[in-house]
Amino acid sequence: MRRSAGARQPSQTRLNPWVLILPSLALALFVIGYPLYNIVFQSVHAVSRFGLIRGFCGLDNFRQVFADPVFLASLVRTVWWTLGVVGGAVLVGLPVALVLNQDFYGRGLARVLVMLPWSVSLTMTAIVWRWAFNDEYGMVNVTLQRLHLISGPVHWLASSTLAFPVEILVGILVSVPFTVTLFLGGLASVPGDIYEAARVEGASSWQQFRRLTLPLLRPFINMAIVLNVIYVFNSFPIIWVMTQGGPSNSTHILVTYLYERGFRLGKPGEAAAVSLIMLLLLFAATALYLKIQPREGGAA
Amino acid sequence: MRAFADRRKLRRSLYCWLALAPLVVIILFPFAVMFLTAVKPPEEVFIYPARWLPSHFRWANFSDMWVATRFGRALENSLLVSLSSMLLAIVVSVPAAYALARATFRGQGAYRQFLLVTQMLSPILLVIGLFRLAAMIHWNGGNLVDTRLSVVVAYAAFNIAFAVWMLSSYFATIPRDLEEAAWLEGCGRARAMLKVFLPLAAPALGVTAIFTFINGWNEFAVVYTLIRSDANKTLTVQITDLVAGRYTVEWHQVMAATLLATLPVSVLFAWLQRYLVKGLALGAVK
Repeated sequence: MRRSAGARQPSQTRLNPWVLILPSLALALFVIGYPLYNIVFQSVHAVSRFGLIRGFCGLDNFRQVFADPVFLASLVRTVWWTLGVVGGAVLVGLPVALVLNQDFYGRGLARVLVMLPWSVSLTMTAIVWRWAFNDEYGMVNVTLQRLHLISGPVHWLASSTLAFPVEILVGILVSVPFTVTLFLGGLASVPGDIYEAARVEGASSWQQFRRLTLPLLRPFINMAIVLNVIYVFNSFPIIWVMTQGGPSNSTHILVTYLYERGFRLGKPGEAAAVSLIMLLLLFAATALYLKIQPREGGAA
Repeated sequence: MRAFADRRKLRRSLYCWLALAPLVVIILFPFAVMFLTAVKPPEEVFIYPARWLPSHFRWANFSDMWVATRFGRALENSLLVSLSSMLLAIVVSVPAAYALARATFRGQGAYRQFLLVTQMLSPILLVIGLFRLAAMIHWNGGNLVDTRLSVVVAYAAFNIAFAVWMLSSYFATIPRDLEEAAWLEGCGRARAMLKVFLPLAAPALGVTAIFTFINGWNEFAVVYTLIRSDANKTLTVQITDLVAGRYTVEWHQVMAATLLATLPVSVLFAWLQRYLVKGLALGAVK
């Protein structure tokens, strides 16, 4: 069909699509391709604090990194961070999307409210929550004390057991809008009359959800998981601004570890190695996903 | 009968809002913190036990903050960087999206894959290499580190995938016949694109452009890495510097700054979010 449309156009106006694609390809290759090459290069070289290459060192940087207990702890914490935030966002996002898909008064307002955290820079969100979780003067403690839920100030961000879960909750909050957006798109594509038919057959709401909505949403849930995993795995500002990986390295994930290695501790070679390890993890996760994802017919 | 249906909808509305209430409270919480701290007289910010409400609204916090944090300069940088990167991203993405929506060609799948991969390689993963790249390029007797140009180019590149995805999914919904009619009338392809296609695509272009702008406005890691001097910092980094690694933080000023930096973009976003929902959903089923 496309072929025939192409054939109808006058030959002198036929455009090579690659000419149209070239500018975007060139820009992306330049800004993304070169750094990628450079990271591979730095990861196998001894690099000084100021970026001077001191010579090839094989896998020394990788060995250094893997010998660092903070790295290993960050690696494990990254898994929890990603699972926690993505899982939380999907679990919160699904019921919220189902509610927002109902016909009720003030739905437009409700949608705007739910989308609101998306519009705020992660950095700003992190700054505000850092203040809200302040020990003595933060509004979280003030409110909880007013409600008699806690007796004295809780040291949220100064405690190595509480800081990380708090950051996961903030991560969930900022991931909900995007997740809900994808689900709403999915729900909009579900034809309404199948529910009519189900009701006639006497299916309960729960059965309708389990047997109709959930399977129809499956591709959108999958996509929400994949995209969120990519975003969350790479998410830097929340943890960096709220705790900078502290107290006593208890909130480092791989991105904050990488940044600290590269730009605070002056070890660009090791940071490059961490970047590569992260890339491999990301690609492995995607490949795994594509593998277990059942092939859906060739619908464009 | 109608009254009955109305009553049912009323009840349903009540349940829906009740179900959403906890989330809405948590979402509005930081906005309340921001606003109420921003208008508190400074001496009331650090009293124990702390209180939600200020004794009176002190609007002068905003003008104090403007001077103390050099807000104007950072605002200028944020605007400049976001606008320029938006323009650059749109200029290179429109032809690419047009090609994806209108033509079938060898390597189309590969190009889509490439875009997907660029989405996975976030700036923070590449930040070490990005810094080297900027340091390598000679510019104005120095290099590109600590220039706004480096940030603009980086933002544009990282926005290509999003812009092409949004634009091509919209472009595909614009009927081909109109352009073909223009060709028959003897219009060249480029002219047909300019006269017929682009006006129809204008809303999609506008929406995509604004979201690219917001991405730039909100970005942190690239500026944090590439920009050194205060004169070139954007709002996100400038405000973070007021908080990070300081013994005393003037929280009323910081909250005033975050509020001013956030509010315009939030309003813009609230106004346009349904287009984003539509665009992403269209792209998703592709």
